[in-house]
Amino acid sequence: MQSEGYIAAALRALAQHDAELEAPLRVEDRARRAFRRNHARRKWGNIAAWGLTAAAAVTIFFISGSREHPKPVPKMSVRHELVAAEPKPLEIAAPAPKPRKADPVKPEPREIVTEFFPLLDVAPPFERGELLRVMVPASTMRKVGLPVNEEHMTDRVYADVLVGEEGLARAIRFVSYEQ
Amino acid sequence: MIATDQALLEQALNGVEDAFTTLYRRRQGPIYRFALQMTGSTAMAEDVTQETFLTLILHGSRYQEARGSVAAFLYGIARNLVLRRLEHRSGAELEITEDCAGPEDLLEDLTRRESIEHVRQAVLSLPPVFREVVVLCDLQDTSYEDAAGVLDCPVGTVRSRLSRGRAMLVRKLRGAVCAGRSVECSPKGT
Repeated sequence: MQSEGYIAAALRALAQHDAELEAPLRVEDRARRAFRRNHARRKWGNIAAWGLTAAAAVTIFFISGSREHPKPVPKMSVRHELVAAEPKPLEIAAPAPKPRKADPVKPEPREIVTEFFPLLDVAPPFERGELLRVMVPASTMRKVGLPVNEEHMTDRVYADVLVGEEGLARAIRFVSYEQ
Repeated sequence: MIATDQALLEQALNGVEDAFTTLYRRRQGPIYRFALQMTGSTAMAEDVTQETFLTLILHGSRYQEARGSVAAFLYGIARNLVLRRLEHRSGAELEITEDCAGPEDLLEDLTRRESIEHVRQAVLSLPPVFREVVVLCDLQDTSYEDAAGVLDCPVGTVRSRLSRGRAMLVRKLRGAVCAGRSVECSPKGT
C-alpha cells in the first residue's frame, strides 16, 4: 500500500512539473495557417462543385435539347420571334373572305426569379460576363438555404448562373414559371 | 458567456477562425502534454498537437456528443497519432528541455528534476497499452469514464490496466528509490 502512495506521489510530482507545459506558439501559427488553407480549399471546392454542376447542367440541357426538343424556355428573344412570325391575313378576293380565326395565343408564363446568391465569398472585380440559363437539381437550392421538399430533391429547376468573362461562376438565381 | 467546446467546434467547422483559435488555445496544453508524456519527444509532441487539430478541422463533423466530450475526442485523435508514431520509432528519445534554476536552489532543483526525470523515464518505458492509461488518468487527471471513451474500452479495463501500470512503475522505480532518490515522499518499505 505504501508503494502505491509513493507511486501516486511520484506521478503527482511529474504531473505538477509538466502542468505548465504548452505547445510553442509556432505550433499555433502552423495550425492556424493550416486552418485557413483548408477553409480556402473547401470554399474553392464548393465553387468548383457549383461550376461543375452548372457546366453539367448546361451540357445536359443542350444534349437533351438537341434530341428531344423539350418545351423551350421562355425568354425575351423567344417572344420577339413569336411576334415576328405572326401569320399575315390571307388576301383572297372572292368569295368574301371568311375571316380566319386567329390562333389562340397562349399567355406567356410569368417568370419568377429569386434573388442572386453569390457563389464566391471574395470575388474578383466584375466587369463583364453573361447570364446562362441552366437546369440544376432542386437540391442545389438547398445549398443556398432555400427550402426544398425531400421528394422534389432530384427534380430539375431552371437557374440563371452569372459567369464572369474569366469563366468564374459568380452568382446563381433560381427561376420558376407561373402558368 | 464562455462558449462551449462543442459550440466552438461547430463554428470552426463553418470556417470561423476565431472559434478555432479559441478552441486550440483551450485544448492544446493537455494534448501537447499527453503527446509529450507518451513519446518523451518535444518535436513529436508538437507534430502530434498540430496534426490533432488539423484532423479536427478535417473530420470534426464526426464528433458525436453522446460519445464523449470534445476534449476526449481530441485525446482520441492524439492517441491514434501517437501510437502510429511509436510504432515507427525505435527506443525512447527523450528530448525534454528544462529551464535553468537560480544558483540558490540549484542543488535542490537538480535533485528534484533528477527524480522527476526518473519517473518520466519509468513512465516512458511502460508498454504503450499501460502507458496511455497512466498518462491519461494519473498525469492528465482524466476520469476513468473519459479514458475509457478515449481508449475505446470498458471502464473496468481502464482500472485493471492502470493498476498493472502502476505496479510496473513501482518495480521500475524501486532501483532509484533504493539509491536514495526519492520524489517528495520516501517509501518506507515497498
